[in-house]
Amino acid sequence: MTGAWRLAFRNLRRHRRRNVVTGVAIALGYMGLVVLGGYAGWAERLIRTGSVYMQHRGHLAVYAKGGLKRAEAKPSAYVAALRADPRVAHVGRYLIGSGIVGNGCKSFAMRAVGAEPDLERRLASHPEMIAIWGRATGPVSGRAFFDAPGAEAPVVVAPRLARALEKARPSPGGVPATADAPLDCGAPDVRQRLAADPFVQLGARTADGSFGAAEAQVVGLYRPASTEEDKTALVAPIELLQRLYDTDRVTYVAAFLRDHRDRAAVERDLAVRLRDAGVDVSIHRFDDPVANPFYAGTMAFLGALVLFVVLLVANVVAFSVLNAMTLAAIERSREMGTLRSLGFTRTQVRGLFLRESALLTITSVLAGAAFAAAAALVVEAADVRFEPPGSGTPVHLQFMPAPEVFLGTGGLFLVLTLAATFIAVRRKVRTPVAELLVEVAA
Amino acid sequence: MTSAFFALFAALTAVAPPGTPDAAALLRDSDRARGGLAEGVSWTLTVESTEEGTSTRRTMDVRARNTDALAETTAPPRKKGEVILFNDRNLWFLKPGLRRPVAISARQRLQGEASNGDAASTNYARDYTGTVVGDEIVDGEPVWKLDLVARSKDVTYDRIRYWISKRRRLGVKAEFLTVGGDLFKTATFEYGNRVRIPGGQEIDFVSKMTIRDAMGAGGTTVLTYESPRAETHAPSVFNVNNVVR
Repeated sequence: MTGAWRLAFRNLRRHRRRNVVTGVAIALGYMGLVVLGGYAGWAERLIRTGSVYMQHRGHLAVYAKGGLKRAEAKPSAYVAALRADPRVAHVGRYLIGSGIVGNGCKSFAMRAVGAEPDLERRLASHPEMIAIWGRATGPVSGRAFFDAPGAEAPVVVAPRLARALEKARPSPGGVPATADAPLDCGAPDVRQRLAADPFVQLGARTADGSFGAAEAQVVGLYRPASTEEDKTALVAPIELLQRLYDTDRVTYVAAFLRDHRDRAAVERDLAVRLRDAGVDVSIHRFDDPVANPFYAGTMAFLGALVLFVVLLVANVVAFSVLNAMTLAAIERSREMGTLRSLGFTRTQVRGLFLRESALLTITSVLAGAAFAAAAALVVEAADVRFEPPGSGTPVHLQFMPAPEVFLGTGGLFLVLTLAATFIAVRRKVRTPVAELLVEVAA
Repeated sequence: MTSAFFALFAALTAVAPPGTPDAAALLRDSDRARGGLAEGVSWTLTVESTEEGTSTRRTMDVRARNTDALAETTAPPRKKGEVILFNDRNLWFLKPGLRRPVAISARQRLQGEASNGDAASTNYARDYTGTVVGDEIVDGEPVWKLDLVARSKDVTYDRIRYWISKRRRLGVKAEFLTVGGDLFKTATFEYGNRVRIPGGQEIDFVSKMTIRDAMGAGGTTVLTYESPRAETHAPSVFNVNNVVR
């Protein structure tokens, strides 16, 4: 430690009470912002992984031109172009459709997603999914549709829809003997009969405008990504839905990237490649407000909230430091005069105060980082679970901030406190030495 | 709800033209010529739909009795065996390979063929309270204009405007309205068939029904009725459990 730093350290200790108060303000402010940053980062990962993996959007979704509303993509050209890109980890075809699902007595509206079973199996065990969603990635009961060997046309349905269909306890095993027996919907035991029958009938308007139907076996219940879908959601192998809608087309092709930060570059390159190949498409990233207004809207709200809190906390910290350093400068006028008369330049005197401020900030930030990490660990250990608004899935609250949040917030605080200190002592060090020596603190 | 209330209010307060017939009797007579025979009737139905430049054609054997009807597809071959069953107010769809029928509720019938089948099979006398609200000329023929308001919530359309020939007592035109009062479909009817009913009387029977979508892509469906004949069908023919077996 040089002489100037040693002197600054001693000065900090001399004015312990005031510096402790200022340091606590900095530490708590830092802790608050770091925890908020950790929460915002976790929420972003939660919504992103929910959109990309659970809602099957992928990081990029490639539709036929204008195909957001119509199932008309002929995907071979897109799939080949996406698979050729080393930044793309997985490529999947999806068919989205509406219709009805019935149990032989009653039917209910459904919104069906057709997906490729092998891909869904890989996505369900994706490390990012496991890290954020944990156990929520698995079925609520029964099995996932890609994990039901022997089942005929396996599907999974959302819990409320399952209850309406009397399929709340799915059995992914074989076909019970009663499944083929006639059903009297007016019989007193009809609910038990329906519960024992794993089959449902899907009905929908086909691509040619006629009415189509297909049979499916409910093998499990799954948590949809939003409460709205709880009454209508059903996920099935894409081949089953293509049979139902009597089409060989898909709604879109999704690309799952190795690093989500590459999405803009991959989108740009893919657009160029497909345009050169004469393929007219619409490419939508998961953060596209048109394709995913929930993600875009939530992140905009979260961003505004974080900015507001950052401004609030930064102001409090800056004014605390400004106040403390202004008082220090006034109280230590004689000391400043003495140092100047001993040959210290104005810059050196100012530097002494700035060093004191830097030491105070670094110490407080380190303490705040320790508090923040401890708070995150306590919350992690407490296993707090809650359902985010609009989500039908309970998630494990986590907000251990990323290293860049710690470093970025620390850097911000250092700049803030040094600027506040500079402003506080700037005028004082310009005061003539004789005046400083006779000045009496109020 | 509000629109239904006002429609009912308008219907109740409307001043009927002089010599106005009983609306319920008009509806009963017109239903009979569209398949609503008490003992039963059968015919072959061809459904040709055109929407956004795509045309499909389907042929069905239809058996009807009073308010029930069973339509079994005979062509094209890949649709053969598909059955649409109207049993009372319930609509069921069945096809080979399904263990259970698919129940289609009133509100779910507003799409595709189910919608057209529903429009074709609507039993006006049973499901709607009719009021004669005026007389007009349709295609040169004097007609009564009726305003129909649904008797219950489990019918597909809340309101229908229906024109019935004064001389023939047959429905010649219908407009199906949405809950909000917007025009959803229009239908026109032709009666080139004759059916001899039990007792020897010969009555006019529908030969063509043209349904046009007033919303969306504006598709058109033409239902052609051929070889109608009075036949006695047992009520069990229209029991969904018997059809499944």
